[in-house]
Amino acid sequence: MPEIRVTPLGAGQDVGRSCILVSIAGKNVMLDCGMHMGFNDDRRFPDFSYITQNGRLTDFLDCVIISHFHLDHCGALPYFSEMVGYDGPIYMTHPTQAICPILLEDYRKIAVDKKGEANFFTSQMIKDCMKKVVAVHLHQTVQGDYNMTPDRHLGAAWIDKCRPNLLITESTYATTIRDSKRCRERDFLKKVHETVERGGKVLIPVFALGRAQELCILLETFWERMNLKVPIYFSTGLTEKANHYYKLFIPWTNQKIRKTFVQRNMFEFKHIKAFDRAFADNPGPMVVFATPGMLHAGQSLQIFRKWAGNEKNMVIMPGYCVQGTVGHKILSGQRKLEMEGRQVLEVKMQVEYMSFSAHADAKGIMQLVGQAEPESVLLVHGEAKKMEFLKQKIEQELRVSCYMPANGETVTLPTSPSIPVGISLGLLKREMAQGLLPDAKKPRLLHGTLIMKDSNFRLVSSEQALKELGLAEHQLRFTCRVHLHDTRKEQETALRVYSHLKSILKDHCVQHLPDGSVTVESILIQAAAPSEDPGTKVLLVSWTYQDEELGSFLTSLLKKGLPQAPS
Amino acid sequence: MDPGDDWLVESLRLYQDFYAFDLSGATRVLEWIDDKGVFVAGYESLKKNEILHLKLPLRLSVKENKGLFPERDFKVRHGGFSDRSIFDLKHVPHTRLLVTSGLPGCYLQVWQVAEDSDVIKAASTIAVHEKEESLWPRVAVFSTMAPGVLHGARLRSLQVVDLESRKTTYTSDVSDSEELSSLQVLDADTFAFCCASGRLGLVDTRQKWAPLENRSPGPGSGGERWCAEVGSWGQGPGPSIASLGSDGRLCLLDPRDLCHPVSSVQCPVSVPSPDPELLRVTWAPGLKSCLAISGFDGTVQVYDATSWDGTRSQVEPLFTHRGHIFLDGNGMDPAPLVTTHTWHPCRPRTLLSATNDASLHVWDWVDLRAPH
Repeated sequence: MPEIRVTPLGAGQDVGRSCILVSIAGKNVMLDCGMHMGFNDDRRFPDFSYITQNGRLTDFLDCVIISHFHLDHCGALPYFSEMVGYDGPIYMTHPTQAICPILLEDYRKIAVDKKGEANFFTSQMIKDCMKKVVAVHLHQTVQGDYNMTPDRHLGAAWIDKCRPNLLITESTYATTIRDSKRCRERDFLKKVHETVERGGKVLIPVFALGRAQELCILLETFWERMNLKVPIYFSTGLTEKANHYYKLFIPWTNQKIRKTFVQRNMFEFKHIKAFDRAFADNPGPMVVFATPGMLHAGQSLQIFRKWAGNEKNMVIMPGYCVQGTVGHKILSGQRKLEMEGRQVLEVKMQVEYMSFSAHADAKGIMQLVGQAEPESVLLVHGEAKKMEFLKQKIEQELRVSCYMPANGETVTLPTSPSIPVGISLGLLKREMAQGLLPDAKKPRLLHGTLIMKDSNFRLVSSEQALKELGLAEHQLRFTCRVHLHDTRKEQETALRVYSHLKSILKDHCVQHLPDGSVTVESILIQAAAPSEDPGTKVLLVSWTYQDEELGSFLTSLLKKGLPQAPS
Repeated sequence: MDPGDDWLVESLRLYQDFYAFDLSGATRVLEWIDDKGVFVAGYESLKKNEILHLKLPLRLSVKENKGLFPERDFKVRHGGFSDRSIFDLKHVPHTRLLVTSGLPGCYLQVWQVAEDSDVIKAASTIAVHEKEESLWPRVAVFSTMAPGVLHGARLRSLQVVDLESRKTTYTSDVSDSEELSSLQVLDADTFAFCCASGRLGLVDTRQKWAPLENRSPGPGSGGERWCAEVGSWGQGPGPSIASLGSDGRLCLLDPRDLCHPVSSVQCPVSVPSPDPELLRVTWAPGLKSCLAISGFDGTVQVYDATSWDGTRSQVEPLFTHRGHIFLDGNGMDPAPLVTTHTWHPCRPRTLLSATNDASLHVWDWVDLRAPH
């Protein structure tokens, strides 16, 4: 029985370092190669020792597939390919291929420059790793972290009723019930509005891609409705990069964005203007979107330094910040920061951490699993103690088996793959000619010959098979002798046999042929008189092997003897 | 213009904070466990219902540095499944046990909230002697050294059962068949009951049945259904019992004289209530003389009863929560109906409200009378 074997190397009952080994039909595939953002030592990488014990990785693994560009799904890729040693193909979609190296390089810079890490992959390693990447097109839209509610940018995730043998899904957020998007947006608007109302400045550090454009559209709509005059600025660097990458994303985005983008070929706003560094010194309220997102360098850090000392101002961090960055420090509550030259910056401005993350919640995950209709479900990215209820829910509501292996633990799933076989038209026609119509509820036995050639399976009639294979047909018949006590002539015996069988076998075709023999379907019965004993007659019962059952039945019946003829 | 968007913009002024959630199933239950978690439970009759222990978003629990907590989501801390619909759920304080009541109403279910996993398991049942097809027993818990469960669908079937020994420690022992609409434990020996007719009573379990009560049903009785809640018990004089009728009448009573309400007002609500069993009136634990009512439509109304006396008849709410109507409906479905609401035990103006279309809101309203 062909099996699917799944072993998480990271993310098994654990959050972060997503990495799952799957063996299907003799092929070994690694799904994702992520980093655990919470650790600084080896625990941040998946446990590759499980596969590197004997032999080379490239020999063992057929390929690596990366679902999306978040660091907990691809962060360990350069380490894996360049430092542990893997030369095989790495598959990912075009947008992921474009964005991965940027995030990896950003992360590398922070780890090495800010945190002074030594044993880290280099820029060259990232480049070498990306050379092994083969970009592919996906039929499905869903990839990586998914969300079932329509995002302002991305459409809602959807999936075909593909009925896979196994669906692997994260469960971190399956125990979450998300606050509605509107309320989260409302919270953002309220904070921005309150700050500018009291004359303060709002800094929003953003990544080049992601939520920046969404938040801009939100503010633009609000500013328009409230007739606000406070300036909103957007770094130009952002727009250029964003345009380039959004061109790749367009098939994935929703109607509104597509319209805006396609009509003007860039994100143009009425109330939002391009930023100039000089504006940061202007008095009065304003809102500025600037990169980079973690306040670790560049424009956003410059602006932050200018505005941090005023408690009327606010900085809104829209995402996770890696350890070592200024973003991470202020989100940890630090109010005094040591900058270059031992300068201490006192942070009096309000610090707000707002989550705009894209994960689906309990409802979303159940919806997605329900849509795909898998045979089994496997949960990753969750703590065992906190997945028991979800496991029960999936098993009960969707009636599928649910597994949650730990790292290094293998789950084996038996599968029953269906093998397609073509039936020849001649064979089908012959069956139809027998008169009975096909009935889905009453399976009928069909006799044919299965011809397997290359990867082709065909079911044909025996005659056709013999012809194709150039073989002569042989017939197999069984003959049995039944001795009867009968003094009459063999012709009369045969007649008696005929009458007897005719009266008993009402469902079968019993015939008395001119030459004296009796046939029951294809079974032939002939009476003969042995020369030694005139009182005994011998019945020769002969049948083909296909009619064995009826043949045996007739033989036993005749052995019981014939009824007395009426005088 | 999307009315939802309009309301959202208006909400910036009306609410300090506002959260909206979609549960997998509607609930009629919102039961607190400490001040960081609530239980909700489904009440569908033909499928399995979920009981969930939800941990409030961190932002609502932390006192300082609220801005540093981005999480605005509920976390399902524990979950379980019930074959029956659940109309009432009570947590037994200082234990990991829950007691639920639903239809069919022939028994109460006791649940165990697991410590080493996230599962809520059915543990045992408490038999109910009065078995009726359509009535479910009301439940309240005496949280003494040996916790006792007070339950009953009618006055004559009221009893207290010791949870551990399962012995009956108190019965009403009357033949009165009046239907109960609410039960509330006030202290170690006292409980309050309210009948659907509006009849109220305070019972001391140390004595044979001899409640302090109003014999006559509430004013203007003509088939209305009533419910009631007792406010901070024994904290000084003044009305501490609120009684709400399905015709929109709200009466305030002093426990020392249940026969003569201190005030009786008419709330501006659409009457009659589409489902009088959903009527709910609650006292705000953190605001003096503030009440909330729900069950008439998709709103929750907050009233300040400070200056109510016998003379006032028409009143206006201090605040009306309309979020369920604007955010959840899409104009096509029938208007939502609030199934239950509750006040946050510590945050004075924060409430939770749930509707029959499975939405759950947490909202912190702004008192517009207060100076800025």
